[in-house]
Amino acid sequence: MLQAVGRIASLSKPNLSRSLPSLAICNSRYASSDPSCLKEAPIIDTDAAIALPEEQRSRRALESSIVVPIKVDLSPVSGVPEEHIKTRRVRIYQPPKNAMQSGTNNIHHWEMEFDTRQRWENPLMGWTSTGDPLSNMKIEFKSPDEAIEHCEKNGWCWYLDEPKIEKEFKPKNYGVNFSWNRRTRVSTK
Amino acid sequence: MAGALARVIQGTKSHLGIVAPLTGVSNVPVRYQQTQTSPGKTKYGPLADADRIFTNLYGRHEWRLKGAMARGDWYLTKNILLKGTDWIVNELKTSGLRGRGGAGFPTGMKWSFMNKPSDGRPKYLVVNADEGEPGTCKDREIMRHDPHKLIEGCLIAGKAMGAQAAYIYIRGEFYNEASNLQVAIAEAYQAGLIGKNACGSGYDFDVYVHRGAGAYICGEETALIESIEGKQGKPRLKPPFPADVGLFGCPTTVNNVETIAVAPTICRRGGKWFASFGRTRNSGTKLFNISGHVNTPCTVEEEMSIPLKELIERHAGGVCGGWDNLLAIIPGGSSTPLIPKDVCATVLMDFDALVAAQTSLGTAAIIVMDRSTDIVKAIARLIMFYKHESCGQCTPCREGVSWMNKIIYRFVEGNASPKEIDMLWEISKQIEGHTICALGDGAAWPVQGLIRHFRPELERRMAAYAATCGPSKAERLY
Amino acid sequence: MLRQPLTRALALGSPTRLAPVTTRRYAEQAQAQPEKVEVFIDDQPVHVLPGTTVLQAAALAGVEIPRFCYHERLAVAGNCRMCLVEVEKSPKPVAACAMPVMKGMRVKTNSDLTKKAREGVMEFLLVNHPLDCPICDQGGECDLQDQSMAFGSDRSRFTDIHFSGKRAVEDKDVGPLIKTIMTRCIHCTRCIRFASEVAGVDDFGTTGRGTDMQVGTYVEKMLLSELSGNIIDLCPVGALTSKPYSFAARPWETRRIDSVDVLDPLGSNIVVATRTNEVLRILPRTNEEINEEWLSDKSRFACDGLKRQRLVTPMLKDSRGNLTPVEWEDAVVAAASALRDCPPDKILAVGGEMADAESLVALKDLVNRLGGENVCTEQYFPMEGAGTDLRSSYLLNTKIANVEDADFVLLIGTNVRFEAPLLNARIRKAFIHKETDVAFIGPKVDLTYEYMHVGDSASLVKDLASGTSGHEVMKRLQSAKRPVVILGADQLKTKEGAALLSYTQELASKLQENLQEKDWKVLNVLQRTTGQVAALDIGYKPGVGPVLASGPKLVYLLGADAGVVTREALPKDVTVIYQGHHGDQGASIADIVLPGAAYTEKRATYVNAEGRAQQTLPAVTPPGKAREDWKIIRALSEVCGEGLPYDNLDEVRSRLAEISPALVAYGNVQGNNYFAQALALAKSVQRPVSGKLDVQLKQLEDFFMTDPISRASPTMAKCVQAVLKQKQSPY
Repeated sequence: MLQAVGRIASLSKPNLSRSLPSLAICNSRYASSDPSCLKEAPIIDTDAAIALPEEQRSRRALESSIVVPIKVDLSPVSGVPEEHIKTRRVRIYQPPKNAMQSGTNNIHHWEMEFDTRQRWENPLMGWTSTGDPLSNMKIEFKSPDEAIEHCEKNGWCWYLDEPKIEKEFKPKNYGVNFSWNRRTRVSTK
Repeated sequence: MAGALARVIQGTKSHLGIVAPLTGVSNVPVRYQQTQTSPGKTKYGPLADADRIFTNLYGRHEWRLKGAMARGDWYLTKNILLKGTDWIVNELKTSGLRGRGGAGFPTGMKWSFMNKPSDGRPKYLVVNADEGEPGTCKDREIMRHDPHKLIEGCLIAGKAMGAQAAYIYIRGEFYNEASNLQVAIAEAYQAGLIGKNACGSGYDFDVYVHRGAGAYICGEETALIESIEGKQGKPRLKPPFPADVGLFGCPTTVNNVETIAVAPTICRRGGKWFASFGRTRNSGTKLFNISGHVNTPCTVEEEMSIPLKELIERHAGGVCGGWDNLLAIIPGGSSTPLIPKDVCATVLMDFDALVAAQTSLGTAAIIVMDRSTDIVKAIARLIMFYKHESCGQCTPCREGVSWMNKIIYRFVEGNASPKEIDMLWEISKQIEGHTICALGDGAAWPVQGLIRHFRPELERRMAAYAATCGPSKAERLY
Repeated sequence: MLRQPLTRALALGSPTRLAPVTTRRYAEQAQAQPEKVEVFIDDQPVHVLPGTTVLQAAALAGVEIPRFCYHERLAVAGNCRMCLVEVEKSPKPVAACAMPVMKGMRVKTNSDLTKKAREGVMEFLLVNHPLDCPICDQGGECDLQDQSMAFGSDRSRFTDIHFSGKRAVEDKDVGPLIKTIMTRCIHCTRCIRFASEVAGVDDFGTTGRGTDMQVGTYVEKMLLSELSGNIIDLCPVGALTSKPYSFAARPWETRRIDSVDVLDPLGSNIVVATRTNEVLRILPRTNEEINEEWLSDKSRFACDGLKRQRLVTPMLKDSRGNLTPVEWEDAVVAAASALRDCPPDKILAVGGEMADAESLVALKDLVNRLGGENVCTEQYFPMEGAGTDLRSSYLLNTKIANVEDADFVLLIGTNVRFEAPLLNARIRKAFIHKETDVAFIGPKVDLTYEYMHVGDSASLVKDLASGTSGHEVMKRLQSAKRPVVILGADQLKTKEGAALLSYTQELASKLQENLQEKDWKVLNVLQRTTGQVAALDIGYKPGVGPVLASGPKLVYLLGADAGVVTREALPKDVTVIYQGHHGDQGASIADIVLPGAAYTEKRATYVNAEGRAQQTLPAVTPPGKAREDWKIIRALSEVCGEGLPYDNLDEVRSRLAEISPALVAYGNVQGNNYFAQALALAKSVQRPVSGKLDVQLKQLEDFFMTDPISRASPTMAKCVQAVLKQKQSPY
């Protein structure tokens, strides 16, 4: 079921850059394909079984085009206080590369993070304290879809922050260092 | 060092390698195949006086234009030029001349790389006269006693590659040589031999002298180019090769003085004549510098492939104290691995035979060491030289050579662990082939030669040190 | 919940790095792509353009080759040898960063030979590297640490440390921003290449050779650059570290919040590193369309100004004329009653240089609800002609990233180097890599590259616009395929500003007409401050002059610290309310002070000089009783009895979207048009101009302290002193 939700979510949401809870969606077939039924052998419809391939295809096409949004909301059962669901805002982003390092091993995923709330220095030990239970809730996802789906389910408002890191590919050339008519080489290293 | 460092492509085992595909010449004849002696010729050397190219090597005659012309220089140079680029290159290819600076790259082929269709950039010939390799003293003899051979060679080489000008990068310490060369160039200009319409051939060609400032690394061809451009002499990576992006960003060929200076004679007497000396693929005559523990150190022109023992006994008056007093020989300038006495007795002095003996012809600067030599200290001194001359650009050479230097000076006194001999070997292998230029290789090889042939000596010293001063600290640490 | 036009789509399905980039569409459009060659990285085939380096090809295949000296935005040096890889049929490992691929090349990035080579290089690098990681500021984000973990040997065999030790190098003094510990240097030469290529100051180099080689300035001098902080990022080891941040924190202790810089009009993307509610440092965040991965020194180092001179509590002027701390309630009531009691047309609201869009819109709505119309910005912009009605008249229309594709840049009265350092870096990049030429009208300044100095007379612009100029620049402009004209907003403050703008528009539109590429934008106006574009978008009137002259009874300064509103210029009985975060010029003349939040403390919208809306995120909470700015105004409106119709940030932003969707199109920027209409309206204001163009920031020392935050920053003050001291030095 979760997969179905995910698939549909990804089908219908590519244009969003932030959450619109009223549009949270699900598949109509979700109602009929109740997971509990799956234990039994599938009931084969005779009409469907004897239909010609063309008929089957058109039937399938008709079937899959009926999509009725249903909201999946875990927030009532997740136990998270309402204050942290309604007022918090989740940022879904790709972690930026640390400017100090060359490595890029830990930036190829998407993360979600809540807005920053007050932190203070613990007077006893000098540690950082906070009253925000969600302050350390950083979750990593493979793709923004998954992050969005997760937020939708939990009822959090989310927004997507795309990094502008795509750049034109330019072959590097060692030889240009030595070309004379260009302005590249003014000094020695 | 006069291009000894250009030995970029020469490994002891692996051949040609990367150069071929890069320069677009994929069907280079395999140069390092085991050489067979040409049929009918089994004895090499001594060279007949009539076959000597450098007839004023010892400065007994006039070096100026008049004397040079008397010796046959500048004779019908115009005709050679008029025969054209292809003819000259072909003649050089027939002669089998290999670069005399150390790497031994076939000169004819090198020149032919320059004859790609022009893209509007001028081309340059650069003559590497930065002869700094310890033990080597051939180019300076040419420049001070036979400068016109070099200038004429520049003109012919320039014509062969369509170059606009030649830059002769001369070692800063060579004051008299630079002075003679400059005088000779002025004479040639005045006589119309170079400059506009050189020798009346319709070809315009200029020759400039550029004096270096005493860095060994500036003998590496790309560092030399950088140095002429007025930058720090730090080698460039290859590719791009100088034939593509060289001096002032233009196609450039860098040749050793000796290579250029023999070209006119080859053109006059024919490539076949030159190829008749020495074994195949190692043909020609060559200037050998013999120094160290010999009775009469000298620079002499001899046929290639002459046996080392004969060379030393005939021209250098033999090893001090007789052949049996010989300890080891460095056959090709300081950067080549040494060979012990038993190898010296049989080895022929040419590229392939010395490679087979796990060393290299280099610049053919033979350094003879007799039994009085502290061989470890001798090698240590060489490493110190390389440490001092490393440009510091790339990591393995900058850090590795100074580390080797530290270790080997401990080896001199024996204050080291025998396990460190293997470590030193490994470090030298970690430097070799990992650097931008060949200086790293040149620093690694003497150490490798030492370990290969004198390991018992190293171990003996360590044992002696342990016996007198107790076990070395390194023993405990390593 | 938020209802607003959904902004630009994200192609969720294909977040690939190689996707064609729409924003950089100008780059080499016409050239046909040469045929790609196939190479094999670890037996995995990749198709790349000929000339690509092995390292780049490996990156395309998803294999990251370790490197120290290679940096994709700098020239290839090839000297660290860390990127050595085995190539089949090559006897030696090759340096992947410099080696171009060849057809059918088989690269082995994980073979024994490669591993051995890397391990060897690592060992050599560590031979003379002090193992002082525990006290090194780079610890935890050090490339040498990272790579020795991954590729290094597990033990040392450097026994010589007990005989002769390691190399030690004297530290250099290169100014108050960069701390050098040169013993740690691994000679990658990144700093040298950055200084000479990007920053354009050729001060760094190497001296000595072999183990004695040192990176430095030869004679000890300060690195006189506005981009010097970037070499701290570039340094792969701890040889160059941040002086203000030294020994402050470890990277794993800090929390990083992505945000946007507001100290220059470009809105560079930054990462704010915080710990215990304190901003410790600011690092650049890659945004290819704005700052690439650089950051100017002011943006980077002025963050210690966020802790000083702050307004932490509301204040009221007491009977003796001293500002005394009060509770919020008192301050708001006092401010509200002042607002209510003032005749609406006598209210002057001034939006400051670092005011965010939310507070600007809230303030404007409040004043309008009270019946007032006088909401102004500090910076003037000529209202004759099209004024601020057309967005194209006051924005950087070409876009920052596209400037590097320009082939001729004409700068009119703007010292880009100090007004927008990263735009200047782009121009310099074009100058170097694309041979773009630059001409400059204005006083002679050092832009770090050569330019044609046309002169400093405003009439030159008129001549260029009318085509009567005989100067070479005219020909160059006309023959240029992608010309760019950048007019400094400072020039528009003068009486001749309107005419100057009009002439510039005429020049630009004439050039535009002749272009092959119709969508290339020529006209640019470079604003000086971050707040200006948003304010003009929202409908603020530029300049306070006329209203000030009419004698306002109440002045509401929203972070207005530029000093255009002074006590002397105001009537005696005026009430000044200052809302802002720093006790600067504005607060000093205020009767009521309402402490606001700085850009690191609020989620707020800023619009950069291109017209690109971006948002900052709260990294820390505002100090003391300071509050988010729009909330203060919202509270004030409630007390005034004119409650504003938004209660949360989303609703404020919906209001922004109502005004202009561009204000909430975060991260994206729309193209502007209507240049011709703007010109048609502006033609009427053309009149002879005769003045001289002058720029405010001429020298490096002028650059550091330009706004309340940087004026409060001790680091910036040190920079000014150090630059002045360096200027005395003969070097």
